Amino acid sequence: MKSTALDARRITPLARARRWLTPLAWLALLLLSAGMGQLEWLFRLIEPDVRAVVYRRSGFFALLGQHILVVGVASLLAVVLGVGAAIAVTRPAGRDFLPLVSQLASIGQTFPPVAVLALAVPVLGFGTLPIIVALLLYGLLPIVRNTLAGIGSIPAEVHEAARGMGMTAGQVLRQVELPLAAPVILAGIRTSVTINIATAALGATVGASNLGDPIITGIVNGNTAYIVQGAVLIGLLALAVDSGFERLLRRG
Amino acid sequence: MIELFDVTKRFGDETAVDGITLRIEKGELCVLVGTSGCGKSTTLRMVNRLIEHDGGEIHLDGQPVRSFDEVTLRRRIGYVIQSTGLFPHWTVARNIGLVPRLLKWPRARVRERVEELMRLLGLPVAEFADKYPRQLSGGQAQRVGVARALAADPDILLMDEPFGALDPITRETLQHELRELQARLHKTIVFVTHDMDEALSLADRLVVMHQGRIVQQGGPIELLHDPANAFVESLLGGMDRGLKEAALIKVGERMLPLGPRLLASERIAYGASLSQALSVMLWHQVDRLTVVDEEDIPIGELSLRRLLGARAS
Ligand SMILES: Nc1ncnc2c1ncn2[C@@H]1O[C@H](COP(=O)(O)OP(=O)(O)OP(=O)(O)O)[C@@H](O)[C@H]1O
Ligand SMILES: [Mg+2]
Repeated sequence: MKSTALDARRITPLARARRWLTPLAWLALLLLSAGMGQLEWLFRLIEPDVRAVVYRRSGFFALLGQHILVVGVASLLAVVLGVGAAIAVTRPAGRDFLPLVSQLASIGQTFPPVAVLALAVPVLGFGTLPIIVALLLYGLLPIVRNTLAGIGSIPAEVHEAARGMGMTAGQVLRQVELPLAAPVILAGIRTSVTINIATAALGATVGASNLGDPIITGIVNGNTAYIVQGAVLIGLLALAVDSGFERLLRRG
Repeated sequence: MIELFDVTKRFGDETAVDGITLRIEKGELCVLVGTSGCGKSTTLRMVNRLIEHDGGEIHLDGQPVRSFDEVTLRRRIGYVIQSTGLFPHWTVARNIGLVPRLLKWPRARVRERVEELMRLLGLPVAEFADKYPRQLSGGQAQRVGVARALAADPDILLMDEPFGALDPITRETLQHELRELQARLHKTIVFVTHDMDEALSLADRLVVMHQGRIVQQGGPIELLHDPANAFVESLLGGMDRGLKEAALIKVGERMLPLGPRLLASERIAYGASLSQALSVMLWHQVDRLTVVDEEDIPIGELSLRRLLGARAS
């Protein structure tokens, strides 16, 4: 009995590393692709007639970095605000706001991000800020919804026992509610981040430079090679992040 | 010692508990019975302040429960519920060690205590310590629930239909274990159940509730013989009360020493109940049984007359 448990623990590091293979593979592919400036001959096949077939206004690594930064900042804020709000309205003191917040969360989901962006620009001007705000607002919703669902799905008797055993409200939250809701919350964050990786490309239309730039420029100039370059990188980034989340989720 | 003085609880317009006065002595096992919705759970949960009472006073060892910090109070009171409420993301050992950890016991002492309790409740440490609640049977889960409640050695134990969801055989085993545990530990226990046989067999004192009030309280035999009204009588089993009483009396209390007569062919253990003895007589159509001890050695005999006669004597 005991020895098998120990054996299992011994092989874990290797097994764990192997389980991260898929996300790491996507990541490697992503980094390789960011060096696709070298593949000029390939894109020449797509667009034989135009002068420039590789987007050169900024390096792909810089664009990728910008993209990750924008999504990262927006997602971090969305997690803090979204999880925080959902926790607040499931406490006795905030329970009055629960219907309001959960309603907002479900209505907001149906709101297209382009519309959020269109509304944000007049207020915040062009640049990185409006896209962060748009991503934050749009990304908030799956997180709030999932956190509410996760906390709400904890069986009443578990709550009853936790309180009855003499756990403080903070202990119930940290040791019972959050760990039990974690997979659902994480799934919400996953949805939010992956959607936002794609949505962030819209930032290029309001002057935030990221992987959306080649796509928008490509559309404007009718250059399919540019579009492919942006799209491939965004797709690979989304895949790498998404499979990373999948890995995290399956561990539980 | 737990004392309730004229305790009342209202939920909106509905009065769930209506002026209950009750005193449970130290070391006593008090069983609350009554029809569904009569306020048993509410009464229990007012003791550990999961529900705050609206009127009256509840005292523990002479101190009002409101004078304690509610978290401190609950850590001093064991609580067991029907659905166990084990934390699904924690192992058995971690679940049992919850309250000692909340009380900041040193880690080694927590582990020692957890293992002690697992042995006490018949859960082999090597087999169960690292299991998760979903890997347990109902009976095992309930044992873990009881162990968790006992972990910090509370004087008071509140048990709300703890064995309600178990099959009759597991339930009887756990009742038996609870009785043995109680004989050793002398906790003050408030126990809620719907099962009248369970109530009668466990109770030092039986409290019958109806619509938020106490209708009658007393020892099991006292209530069986002298029900205050038709409700108590029917709750306690109506015409079956004779058998229920017989179930509470051991053969050993009624047997006679072995006489000059031949041994009767059918045997009964001296620890069996009179209702079981009666059943054996009915089954074999005999009016005399040989009473044997644990080693199956005859130590006495029980006649039907002797079995029936006791009530008059
Ligand atoms: N939190 C609550 N809010 C509103 N009403 C409640 C609450 N808890 C209990 N009640 C009501 O109080 C009454 C007594 O409930 P309680 O749970 O104490 O009954 P019970 O005797 O334990 O019943 P059962 O045997 O079915 O468990 C019921 O009518 C119930 O509907
Ligand atoms: Mg109840």
